[in-house]
Amino acid sequence: MAGTGLSGAAALAGVGATPLSRDSGVSTTALACRAILAALDDAGLGVGDVDGIATHRVGDSSPPWVVGPALGITDPAWHLDQFGGGGVSHAVIGQAALAVAAGVADVVVCYRAINARSEFRMGGQGRAPAGAFDLQYQAPYGLLAPVQHYAVPARAHMQAYGTTHEHLGAIAVRQRAHAAANPRALKRDPITLDDYLASPWISEPFRLLDCCLETDGACALVATSAERARDLRRPPVDIAAAAWAGGHSTYSPPAPGGLGDDLTTSSAARLAPRLYAMAGLGPDDVDVAELYDCFTWTVVVQLEDYGFCRKGEGGPFAASEALGIGGELPVNTHGGFLSEGYVHGINHVAEAVGQLRGDAGPRQVDGAEVALSTGQPGHILAGTSALLLTAGR
Amino acid sequence: MNATQSLRQDVPEQGGRRPGGHGAAAPRPRPGADRDSAYWWEAVGEGRFLVQYCADCRTPRFPAREVCAVCLSLEWEWREGTGTGTVDGWTVTRRTFHPAFEAPYTVLRVALDDGPALYCWGCLVGADPDGLRRGRPVEAVFTDVGPDPADGGPTGGGAFTRVVDWRLRE
Repeated sequence: MAGTGLSGAAALAGVGATPLSRDSGVSTTALACRAILAALDDAGLGVGDVDGIATHRVGDSSPPWVVGPALGITDPAWHLDQFGGGGVSHAVIGQAALAVAAGVADVVVCYRAINARSEFRMGGQGRAPAGAFDLQYQAPYGLLAPVQHYAVPARAHMQAYGTTHEHLGAIAVRQRAHAAANPRALKRDPITLDDYLASPWISEPFRLLDCCLETDGACALVATSAERARDLRRPPVDIAAAAWAGGHSTYSPPAPGGLGDDLTTSSAARLAPRLYAMAGLGPDDVDVAELYDCFTWTVVVQLEDYGFCRKGEGGPFAASEALGIGGELPVNTHGGFLSEGYVHGINHVAEAVGQLRGDAGPRQVDGAEVALSTGQPGHILAGTSALLLTAGR
Repeated sequence: MNATQSLRQDVPEQGGRRPGGHGAAAPRPRPGADRDSAYWWEAVGEGRFLVQYCADCRTPRFPAREVCAVCLSLEWEWREGTGTGTVDGWTVTRRTFHPAFEAPYTVLRVALDDGPALYCWGCLVGADPDGLRRGRPVEAVFTDVGPDPADGGPTGGGAFTRVVDWRLRE
């Protein structure tokens, strides 16, 4: 499996996180520092080893030029303050791998810190809605929250392919069952399909239990060269591929190859071929997948667009036993954003690393060697990003 | 009375002043018009639905852009649009995210009849969302949203007092 491009150049050597909650009681700066220190400790490194620092945010969190100095890191050789949400969550780590591969930085800490329940709730609740650029054509009609933006393609997918509420509900039920084996998860009490169907509508076809949790917390990862990672404390996890794909605004013009007019296909359909090619791997090689689940339906569309099933079959596939811990493709083994908590993407990478190290305890996927972790798959003013990770030797 | 009935009463078919739209507790958010889109929104304010066309390859485009994504021409023209289209997607929102929009309300993504891959959003007015299907014909109506309380604010949207909503076409 010969990789190309970035494949194998960088590795993830440390993982750290704060507890998840609905009210952290502390600043995003404090959350970021706690997660970074935990990740460095995990790797057996200190702040003096760090020469790169990277995050993404949407105006809701502490930037690298605050968090770095707060830890005494006043002159990083490389830094990244990426604007954006879940679509760029994995791009941050991909860009850290680029910096390491280029020799610009040796040890990069990547973090995301949010008080997404207690301070800055997604969707503009209590704040002036964003109305710039393409949102100027949506905000005046009350199309303001992510749940609405994803409801529209989900409804289109249901009509086009017969995807059902029960398919979506099965995702919520299974991920809750996974979370029961995850002490970090915010929601661990089992739910049934009846519970799902009885939960209140938010924006059809989504009910409350289709939606991710609003969460306070932070998570951090340490990226370094694959070579150096092998000298550190914990088993290395190699970045076998990092890939990006272009924007999929709901207004994408009818340019050649454009997907903008197809609500039922996400930007992941464009990203997946280059991700797999870089790693020299394919969907059949993936042992565990952490798929961006801001809402249940994004799991359905990504199962299709990452090549795990045919277009239109994502609903039945998602509802099958295949996605369980012992199944052919365990998905969102920590409970995902739906039940573990929402750290905007990076906690999926953390779970993937844990699975590849064999650290996942009762939810461990036996023999996990290859993990896919994905960002928000497009549809909302953004492209997407994803990582393929492999257990280091 | 459900909200769709209130929409039918509150939203005039053409213009008319109804601050806040929907009879709700707050004004609807203004369009954050920019230097590409200002002309289009100004026309909406006059009750006209325009479509931008490339002056070279004649490809229609929406929303407004300076450059044609097909042939890269910088020349364009505005034409009167059909003001009609078909439902491409929708959601019925059943909780309130903004005081101007009392739940439930329905937002449509409309495929315009003026050409392929032209999409416009708006609220469904004057009809119940039950039985909505992709492909259902709709037509534009202009909803007066009243003066902008933040006129002159950073969005520059104060001049635009109308937005485009949609009703079912028989």
